[in-house]
Amino acid sequence: MKLLTHNLLSSHVPGLRPGGGFPLRIELGRPSELPPEPSPGYEADEEFLRRLHHVLLEVEVLEGSLQCPDSGRRFPISRGVPNLLLSEDEA
Amino acid sequence: SGPRPVSPRSPAPSRPRSSKMSAAEPGWFFCTAGRGLEPFLAREVRARLGATEVDCVSGKVFFRAAAGPGKLRQLRSGERLFLLLKKHSPLPVSGNRGKMLHEIKSLVIEDPKYWLDIISVWRKLHGHDGKTDDGSIENALALKRKSEEETNTASKRQKTEQVRAIVSEECQVGAGETCEAPARMSRQECWAESRTCSELPSRGSGEDPAANEELGFSFRVSCRCSGAIARILTSQEVGRALGTALVKQCGWRADLRDPDLEIFVHLNDIHSVVGIPLFRLPLANREYIRTAGLRSTVAWAMASLAEIRAGALVLDPMCGLGTILLEAAKEWPEAWYWGADISDSQLEGADGNIRAAGLVDKIELLKVSVTALPLPSESFDSVISDIPFGKKFKTMSDAQLLPDLLQEMERVLRVGGTLVLLLSQELHRRVDGLTRSAGGGPAEAPAQAMDGLTRCAGGDPAEASDSRAAPSVDGNSSSLAQRGGEAILSRHFGSLLPEGVYAVSLGKTDAFIHKYRKVSGTGSS
Repeated sequence: MKLLTHNLLSSHVPGLRPGGGFPLRIELGRPSELPPEPSPGYEADEEFLRRLHHVLLEVEVLEGSLQCPDSGRRFPISRGVPNLLLSEDEA
Repeated sequence: SGPRPVSPRSPAPSRPRSSKMSAAEPGWFFCTAGRGLEPFLAREVRARLGATEVDCVSGKVFFRAAAGPGKLRQLRSGERLFLLLKKHSPLPVSGNRGKMLHEIKSLVIEDPKYWLDIISVWRKLHGHDGKTDDGSIENALALKRKSEEETNTASKRQKTEQVRAIVSEECQVGAGETCEAPARMSRQECWAESRTCSELPSRGSGEDPAANEELGFSFRVSCRCSGAIARILTSQEVGRALGTALVKQCGWRADLRDPDLEIFVHLNDIHSVVGIPLFRLPLANREYIRTAGLRSTVAWAMASLAEIRAGALVLDPMCGLGTILLEAAKEWPEAWYWGADISDSQLEGADGNIRAAGLVDKIELLKVSVTALPLPSESFDSVISDIPFGKKFKTMSDAQLLPDLLQEMERVLRVGGTLVLLLSQELHRRVDGLTRSAGGGPAEAPAQAMDGLTRCAGGDPAEASDSRAAPSVDGNSSSLAQRGGEAILSRHFGSLLPEGVYAVSLGKTDAFIHKYRKVSGTGSS
């Protein structure tokens, strides 16, 4: 799972507040290599763009999980594929 | 009295191809296509090969192009590609079988020099590849051609003393039958329905043995007869007659299993065509697909309708083994692709395919359900999907779930984005019903006829997407297309504007490709 994909995913556990369930927390040991916010003028910052491109498109999570920030529900990532299926009781 | 050349466009019957023809020189070709895919193929040969004089008939596209085998091999919506040798008007049909056979022979059989020229052209076109071209033997697609070869693994190369004319009947998407003359091996089974195989006279009845040894050439005749001709003569009979005649004329050796040259003869009510296949394996065999799901030609055609541009986000929310995504990512690599499925085994298969194709950077997989996509609204440029026909949905039938599927797919599409779906006959009717209930309108039109001729005449699929009035390619537009753009209104916001319906053959069944564009709630996009 690439970071780009993570950016598209949200938790759809029922009963969340509007806009809830996003962003999912990636549970991994590694700290982010990027600053928390892009600095102004980042479009022209070649170095930053390179690191951004790398993190967004070239780094893959193979094993781990995504945690819903509101419900705490964990969605596993296995062999690079995140599983966001809810069980029949949950849905 | 014999078949006449159809038009100035046909090559003259007794003038062989210039042996100086190189990859850069224009040549005549024809490519078979699954029913319904002819307009896609016609568009593709123009776009990919710069083809001219494109002539589309049911099941085939004829064209003229100056392209080498590398480029020709890239055709994605065709089945098999042939060098066109002859294209004549249909054979006059009479009750006189002997006369008809004679006329067929005079169409196909030429003196050895003609064939030598053809062969040199063919060899030149292939350079050093020759027989080992397209050797993707590990390809999992179980093509009938492959099974044809398997049925004959017992046969060895025949001694030239005893000759058999090997006949095979070819079908575009279906089974090939073979009929072997028992010759010395009377124990050998004849696999075809027709069991009237006969022994043939041995070679050595007057032709020049030295020339044959030089040539060392083996051949096979693949004949297909349909329409009025098939009522008088079977494909096997014609093939056998031609095989015998070729052996006599050129002194070649007949070989079913692994011929140097295959001569393809197609006789029907539209034309009489003679050609030589350019490649050993059909174009539909993709060396980049490990495990096949949906027919690759149909998958490519669907992707071609989606208008995938650089930087586009494309989703297949019921991706199965990922065939559509693989075809799309290979052809339009500057976009980003996501596939979703609920089945572990399908996702594993898709993952294997993606790795084998080297597309790990392009295609991401998700284990999510299409009825509840955890994806933001209006985030994708295209949604393309083959809606499963069978028992994938455990609780409800496909037809009942269709509105929910459509709603989610429509939701994640951005305004102006495209939705391309493959629907079974039942689902196709159901979608018709949804459209009608949304806007009312005329009574349901009959399902599109599988008439390749009409469809080709109507123009190419790209035109349909440019016009809001949503013409379909076929003259007999479906009810969806003809109602001048009535939209399926979703329950929440936005709507789906139909932009074309295309009936296609999947081999045993027929299906319908539906294309929609998402428009805003006000009807503009």
